[in-house]
Amino acid sequence: MNIKSNICLLLSCGFLTILLMGCDNFLSHKDPSNLNTGNYFTQPSHAEGIVNATYESLYPVQSNASWLMTELRTGALNSTFTPNGGFPDFKIISDLQMSADHPAVNNYWVSHYRGIGNANLAIAEIPNIEMDATTQNRLLGEARFLRAYYYFNLVRVFGEVPLITESVDLGSPDLEPSRSSVESIYQLIVEDLTAAESSGLPFNDSSGRVTLGAIKSLLADVYLTMAGYPLQMGTEYYTLARDKAKEVIDSQEYSLFDSYLPFRESSNDNTGEHIFSVQYLQGEQNNDVLQIGLPPFKFGVSAYSSEQGFGFARDEFVASYEAGDKRAEERVFFFTSYSSESDRNETVQFPNQFIYKFWDEQAHLNTAQSGLNWQVIRYADVLLDFAEASNEVTGPTTEAYEAVNKIRRRAELNDLSGLTKTEFREAIWKERWHELIYENEIWFDMVRTRKAYDIEDDAFNDYVGHSFVDGSTLQERDLLFPLPTNELRNNENLTQNPGY
Amino acid sequence: MTLVSIEKLLAYLEQEENVQFSYNKELLAGNSKVTVRLENVGLDQALDEIFKNRGIQYYALNDGYIVLRASNQKQVIETVSGTVTDAQSNEILPGVNVTVKGTTTGTATNTDGEYSLSVPSLNDTLMYSFIGYQTTEIPINGRTEIDVQLQAQAISGEELVVVGYGTQQRSDLTGSVGTVDEEAFKASSPTSLQEGLSGKIAGVSVSKNSGRPGSRATIRIRGNSSITGPNDPLFVVDGVVLPQANLSNGTSPIDYLDPGNIKSIEVLKDASATAIYGARGANGVVLVTTKGPVQDGGTVSYDGSFSASKLPAWSKIGLLNSEQFLAVEDLAFQNAAKYGLAGSVVDPATKRTDPRLFDSSGNPLYDTDWQEEALRTALTNSHNLSFSGGDRNNSYTVNLGYRDEEGILEKSSLKRYSGRLNINNQINDWLTAGATINYSVQEASQPRAVGAGGITPTRSILQALPITPVRYPDGTFGRTSDYPGMEGGAQPIRLVNETKRILDGTNTLADAFANFDLAEGLTLRTTFGLNIIDQETKFYAGDDLRFISDNGRAEISDEKITSWQFENYLTYETEVLEGHSFTGLLGLSWERVDNFTKFARADDFLDDYFEFNNLGIASNPRPPQSGASAHSLNSYFARVNYTIDSKYLFTVTGRFDGSSRFSEDNQYAFFPSGAIGWRVSEEKFMENSSTISNLKLRTSYGVTGNSEIPNYSTVTGLGNYSYIVGGTRVTGVGLNQMANPNLKWEKNTQVDLGVELGLFSDRVEFEGDIYYKKSEDMLLAAPVPSTSSYSTVIRNIGSMENRGVELTLKTRNISKSNILWSTSFNISINKNKVLHLTGGQDIVQGGNPVTGNRIIREGEPVNSFYGYIQLGTWNTDEAAQAAQYNRLPGDIKYKDINSDGAINEQDRVIIGNGNPDGYGSLINNVTYKNFDLMVDIQYMYGNETAFNSRATTLDRTGITNVLTEVLDAWTPNNQDTMVPEIRPTAAYKDRLSSTGRIENGSFIRGRNIVLGYNFPSELIQKWGKMKNVRIYASMQNFFLIDEYPGFDPEVSSFTGNFSQGDDLYSYPKPRVFQLGLSFSL
Repeated sequence: MNIKSNICLLLSCGFLTILLMGCDNFLSHKDPSNLNTGNYFTQPSHAEGIVNATYESLYPVQSNASWLMTELRTGALNSTFTPNGGFPDFKIISDLQMSADHPAVNNYWVSHYRGIGNANLAIAEIPNIEMDATTQNRLLGEARFLRAYYYFNLVRVFGEVPLITESVDLGSPDLEPSRSSVESIYQLIVEDLTAAESSGLPFNDSSGRVTLGAIKSLLADVYLTMAGYPLQMGTEYYTLARDKAKEVIDSQEYSLFDSYLPFRESSNDNTGEHIFSVQYLQGEQNNDVLQIGLPPFKFGVSAYSSEQGFGFARDEFVASYEAGDKRAEERVFFFTSYSSESDRNETVQFPNQFIYKFWDEQAHLNTAQSGLNWQVIRYADVLLDFAEASNEVTGPTTEAYEAVNKIRRRAELNDLSGLTKTEFREAIWKERWHELIYENEIWFDMVRTRKAYDIEDDAFNDYVGHSFVDGSTLQERDLLFPLPTNELRNNENLTQNPGY
Repeated sequence: MTLVSIEKLLAYLEQEENVQFSYNKELLAGNSKVTVRLENVGLDQALDEIFKNRGIQYYALNDGYIVLRASNQKQVIETVSGTVTDAQSNEILPGVNVTVKGTTTGTATNTDGEYSLSVPSLNDTLMYSFIGYQTTEIPINGRTEIDVQLQAQAISGEELVVVGYGTQQRSDLTGSVGTVDEEAFKASSPTSLQEGLSGKIAGVSVSKNSGRPGSRATIRIRGNSSITGPNDPLFVVDGVVLPQANLSNGTSPIDYLDPGNIKSIEVLKDASATAIYGARGANGVVLVTTKGPVQDGGTVSYDGSFSASKLPAWSKIGLLNSEQFLAVEDLAFQNAAKYGLAGSVVDPATKRTDPRLFDSSGNPLYDTDWQEEALRTALTNSHNLSFSGGDRNNSYTVNLGYRDEEGILEKSSLKRYSGRLNINNQINDWLTAGATINYSVQEASQPRAVGAGGITPTRSILQALPITPVRYPDGTFGRTSDYPGMEGGAQPIRLVNETKRILDGTNTLADAFANFDLAEGLTLRTTFGLNIIDQETKFYAGDDLRFISDNGRAEISDEKITSWQFENYLTYETEVLEGHSFTGLLGLSWERVDNFTKFARADDFLDDYFEFNNLGIASNPRPPQSGASAHSLNSYFARVNYTIDSKYLFTVTGRFDGSSRFSEDNQYAFFPSGAIGWRVSEEKFMENSSTISNLKLRTSYGVTGNSEIPNYSTVTGLGNYSYIVGGTRVTGVGLNQMANPNLKWEKNTQVDLGVELGLFSDRVEFEGDIYYKKSEDMLLAAPVPSTSSYSTVIRNIGSMENRGVELTLKTRNISKSNILWSTSFNISINKNKVLHLTGGQDIVQGGNPVTGNRIIREGEPVNSFYGYIQLGTWNTDEAAQAAQYNRLPGDIKYKDINSDGAINEQDRVIIGNGNPDGYGSLINNVTYKNFDLMVDIQYMYGNETAFNSRATTLDRTGITNVLTEVLDAWTPNNQDTMVPEIRPTAAYKDRLSSTGRIENGSFIRGRNIVLGYNFPSELIQKWGKMKNVRIYASMQNFFLIDEYPGFDPEVSSFTGNFSQGDDLYSYPKPRVFQLGLSFSL
């Protein structure tokens, strides 16, 4: 035995180990599961990847919380959804007692800015990727459309919001941004949509991606809103809105469905009347936005296990439809009874008018999974935008009457004719209420027109001072939602909307 | 070929052959020199050759002992006898084990303390061992009568204490180190390490927060020191650092260690002690020493116990019975009009027609007590068998463990199989090597996932309808939906039968070491440790379980953690000058932890038969998921201990740690510490003190760290996205994690001042510490404005302090030969305060109205409960005032803090804290003759417990069962109450997180009482050479004094950092009756 030689061997082994494990390598790791900004945007597929990521925000953006936020403020929706079971209290929205720490406003804010962040990254990085120019332009167009759409929602819900157009990191001056003017937000929206218009996207496409039709339709809506409150840009923008909507109509790419049934069938997704929708696929990406929220709570009519049933129509609203309006018939937009889940031969009667407009029968009867898309823009909306803008510019025209009457004919109502400009304006608004209710449109109409439909008196009141049937009265502050508490706490440069 | 003396030759053989010769020197007197040629011969041949014709015979005993005798001498076995007494009191000691060292030969003293033992040779050594006394070895040296005095154990300072990378005599310690020794650990017959540690050491809070089998207790050493990182201590098992990971369902790597393998536990509390673990020492370090090999002959020992657990009567929660439930439903209906719901609520009387549930006059047929039905008497048995053997050169231990534990919740259980092998080998005089391998397999059934809201069995116990049965006479389950209009969660028995959550885990913990004695006092130790944890969670929920599964749901998730560490360190011990001793340590370490996770889920099964065993049969498979991540640590460490005349003690420690989690500029950090100790009692002027037997003052200062943040936090990490395009799923990659390239270590600076005092020959021992701990650059996933697209970023944010006092008093009240009574009392007081937050704004976490909010605010204890103050309910006189708040008499009245006429977020205040002001325990040990008794009482005060279960169990009047507290609800005749008026759930009812759910969480608990009996040695000798036989009975959780309305105030339903005192449908804690048997031979 030779102690010394052993020790020598050992020490040399030790040193060898130290050399082998050179500190630099030993402590440097890369995340094997995720890319980072250092190794992304190197391949054409990455351009598509970031745009897909931008689309994904449509899901939280069009969540049931955002739906309740805007629909409960129309006064046409009621909710029994008290703050039970860990879900936030939504009743306070229809009671107009919404406060800044309601999770719904936080969700609205956070999900939109996540979408904007990915869009910003896409718009900044895609031009640097070496790839087919056509695809590159189209992808940029999609990203711009989505960014515009996200900002359009934000500016209407919160008013002045921070305008973020570049990626933010810890060192960015935009980390704690101030609010930007409403004008500057709309400027970006118009800029993005205009750029997207020339990005070579097809007018129509059944895949569900952004199309030229969607871009023009959204732009029409944007111009119409800019013409109204709060910017009040007036006739110039009504003209722009009219012309843009007309481009969509004249393209003849879209047409109204013959009846209301196709809205409830996913086989009609991305066809006919649908211009832009949030895409769902049964089993892969179930539409849980409303399908699990619509079934009347506790009545045992649906295969859904998680039935919550947070919203139903106010009876007075259903009563406000003209006599004979197809849409107010049982099981068109509303329903008051359905077969029992335990025995489909037995009928369950509800105490209220529940919403049937998006009821995916197959999902409720059997699968408890719905692949029905959630519509963001449909042709009826474009027709009504056109009619309203056109009336503001020139008063009633044959074309404008035709746009509204197409919708009325489907509801089996008489054509409108011979109205004054003011009468026609209110008739279009009323048509919007009765056609587009519960589609995240009406509250935005109320704010841009500062008018609210009095469902009991069939008249339009000023927004501020309008009372819902249960007595809650809209105030100045209710023209906007409060900025979320969290956000104000984390960013000293933000201010709260007045009244909250 | 040389002429050598036989003695030298034998000495040479002893070294070469690992044997030991035992002989009388006179035997060799005439045979001084021999010439032998020993090449390629066996030992037997060599000995035959040496002793040939020399009149010497040899006998090989076991364990390498060889006895030499004159051939002519008759083979007489010598007999040694004597009496054993207590060194202090001179009282006789019966039952003392006397064995011949290195053999299994042994006896025990009789009732007069006398023994008589046959020995192979008068050159042997006798060993005297007795519980409570130090084991004493006495060489016979030819005597036949030996009287022995045994010293009582625990003379302070004599024991060796395990410290990081070495051991030290307690008297030489300069840091604050608490010990649970073998006896104390064993005495409580713990089912886990945490249980054995519970209450034993001041400053170490162990909260057993759930009654679930295998549930992890929360350990906090000197409070919470981190906001983000785990506040759990670092666990080191036999030198191997376990990965700091939270595994699924609330377990951590230490939970895999069979407590039967644990010998002792040391807890390093102050920075002087923990600094050697540098970056990971901030939360304290728990050093676990497992049972090592024994060198005094072979031992077989067995430990087994059987126990029964049951919900103690005091824990039961008051819930409505059938009659009350229906009355409450009626009352809700009657009140409907007041809340504008006239006509929209069905008259409950019209629903009571189902003949399965009601008789013809609408009276309920059942009155089910779901606590009785779902909580059973649970049986547990546990067995531990160990074999050890060897001699001073080679030794081994084998442990086999089995535990089969039932939880009191139906279907919850845990099975653990463990095996362990430990070998040690003194290869030669300069090299020792050894290895340990632990392997354990766990199989747990957890019907209630940890931290889960939603529909869980523990929730449905509280909310299931008393009017529905467990099963109908035809055997089908009673369902909530059998009574119309109810909320749809399944009742608990159906739930545990139709869902299955199995947690399968395997853990391999292995280490190997080699110790090189390089020179006098200089050793090099090299160790390699490995820990592989593979944990699989399998879940299946049957068809038709509302809120849980859509036509059957199966999930399988798997998590694998592989960690290794390679450490080398030199230790040098020397006496520099007379009385100046020096110990130096210098080492380096590499460590790496890899994680890999997999997840698969599928929905819609055509039959429940398959459960999670055939995901492919499901018609709706979900996208599979996987993830990998790793981090590594490279460290250099050194320590110097310098002692002058055993009076002045100095320790300096430094560790340089580098972690892959930080960016290159901040990768390495240095963690120094220093400590001074003064053993006053060793000074001349104390020499004659008859009262003070030990007095030591010590103080330390040091810096430790925390690096437990997610891997890769310094880069802008992207994440998965997906969208549907053209009817198929397309994936995308987008923003996920904001980078913080400037991340650095969280630093924890601690000052400690301690005193150790022993009085009256250490019959009274006192140890006190005061400390101040400041955490700086705290790592927090701090919120950032969401306009950045991110919600949080890991940042070094702010600072926090903990200050506290720890006192331990141990007394030996009676110390007589047949009666020993000792008492140990400890108390720990800790105050936590957030000193500074970057930007100064509060950080509010949580936000769910059920689980409430927590706030981090400057000047306040970290993560206090945050919410509204409930003043009561609005009474009829206050109707006008209530109307301002849009409320009615009967509604909850909250305090309008800023008097702005609205109850909103500005009216929230700090309403409590889950951490106690103080806690501790009082433990009494009494030994009377062969009986021993331990009584362990635990207490905690100044903490609040949030009874969050109340959120749903008060509100859901008429749609689920609720607490009997609703019987005190507001009525026009009962206006002075906290409970709002009963109403249909469709009516508005406030449910803000408020003081209405905050309860006093203070308590005194009879944690454990153990009565044991050791069979007398003479008796067990007769049974077959047994060394000891002990039977014991114990009762855990034998009383509880508290004011808490839930199951138990010591509770946490979640695994988060600050979830102490957060009770949401917690798993109730049982009272446990246990019977046990242990023996060794």
